[in-house]
Amino acid sequence: MRLVALIIAGALLSPAAASAQMAPAAPAPTPQQCGAIDVELPPELVGWTAKSPLAAAKVAADLPKASLTPGKAFLATLPSTPDVTYLVQPEKPGGSVSHGGLFDLTVQSAGTYVIALGTGAWIDVLKDGAPMMSGSHGRGPNCTTLRKMVTFDLKPGAYVVQISANGPAELPIMVAKRP
Amino acid sequence: MNRLLVLMAGLCALAVFTLALSPAFDWRLPPGVAPPPVPADNPMSEAKVALGRRLFYDADLSIDGTMSCATCHEQRHAFTDTNATRPGVHNDPGRRNIMALTNVGYFGPLTWADPRVTRLEDQILIPIAGEKPVEMGFAKQEHLLTARLGANACYQRMFASAFPEAKGEVSMATIGKALATFQRTLLSFDAPYDQHKRGEAVAVSDETWRGETLFFGRRAGCASCHAGPSFTDAATGPPDKAFHRIDLPFSGDQGLGEITGRNADKARFRTPGLRNVGVSEPYLHDGSAKTLSQAIRRHRAAIGLGDAQVADLVAFLGTLTDQRFISDKRFSLPPTRCG
Repeated sequence: MRLVALIIAGALLSPAAASAQMAPAAPAPTPQQCGAIDVELPPELVGWTAKSPLAAAKVAADLPKASLTPGKAFLATLPSTPDVTYLVQPEKPGGSVSHGGLFDLTVQSAGTYVIALGTGAWIDVLKDGAPMMSGSHGRGPNCTTLRKMVTFDLKPGAYVVQISANGPAELPIMVAKRP
Repeated sequence: MNRLLVLMAGLCALAVFTLALSPAFDWRLPPGVAPPPVPADNPMSEAKVALGRRLFYDADLSIDGTMSCATCHEQRHAFTDTNATRPGVHNDPGRRNIMALTNVGYFGPLTWADPRVTRLEDQILIPIAGEKPVEMGFAKQEHLLTARLGANACYQRMFASAFPEAKGEVSMATIGKALATFQRTLLSFDAPYDQHKRGEAVAVSDETWRGETLFFGRRAGCASCHAGPSFTDAATGPPDKAFHRIDLPFSGDQGLGEITGRNADKARFRTPGLRNVGVSEPYLHDGSAKTLSQAIRRHRAAIGLGDAQVADLVAFLGTLTDQRFISDKRFSLPPTRCG
């Protein structure tokens, strides 16, 4: 069963051109369809169910207080979009009633990293102030609260993760290195 | 009877369009290319285009601020996206593949299966406030959208400039008119195909011109439906003549038959335009064809074609990609927020 779920997740996480990442958010599973939620998770995202609180930064100066740690899940609180000063204009800026924010991300080892969200928000990863190309995008496996998964090939160093066009003020988010 | 009603609706729609051009508006079209028809009650203006562009990219046009028109209509994909279908803001499943907007101002029928929707001003309100399916989520709550935009000083100025005759009113009607005006400027006539037709040197392979011969010839018969400058009979004929069934009836979606109730119309869908088709995958009304080859193979007319001939057709269709159109800053996300 776990293998089937992982195969489905792999199939959905398909290669994507350029920075395209508008994979539609998967419909929320209903209890009737799933025996249990968030049981069959991709191996790198097993920590998805244990989320720590984290406040997103509104401006670059606050980034040191909003660090994403690879392998650890967070339930982030996001400010209102008009209160966020993005370093680079997001390709999909949210409206005035949406939420967004900035996060610091430091990577120690090179590899493919997946950024997983519990919503369908837009993700930009910036290196030295410029947006990076995403590698693949897709939905999370069925019967999980993973709504969106986007990969980026990252080298050791510091990055900024920009989140835009998130509906609610809360965002489940996790960064993890692919095995 | 239904066919008669459809025809009457089409004639009525045509009647409200002016064939005369908007003389003061610069369409920036190549010589010899006529601009799209413009409704008499919504003449072109630069102020309206600017407002429409801003609205097109503003996610405040969705109830929770997460989705703008451009969320699904991405410029680099000729104003469609790479998903088969896309759910709305409340996760209602999308019903059909997002249609590209290249040269949409020339089209009669504007949707995959409803010949009654022939005005951009009307079509635009379907994703914003429609319920089947819910997309941007303002159904029965349109007042929230007009209040939201009306409270923004930047939009107050832009609506006043675009609609002086309505005293800058922010209404669903003026929102629709501005978006329609912007979309009429999404004109693409500078692909290698056009350049070749103008006598300019274009470096393409031999298979491209074999594909062109095949495309316009009787054997493949592509041009019988993908006709005219935009490669669709949706831009050349009466609204009800642009719907075709290309292969066996689909099991679920009844297409035009859903509107007319006629068995003969089941699984008929509007001919999509082919300009920029090389960057607008996936294809067909349900997005089920991931490549152009797959889409071509789904046509009954392609049964007798060999792989090399399909490849020739794909090569020809590649000459319809207008790089200027998919990167033109006039059509892109405005660099600053409104307000």
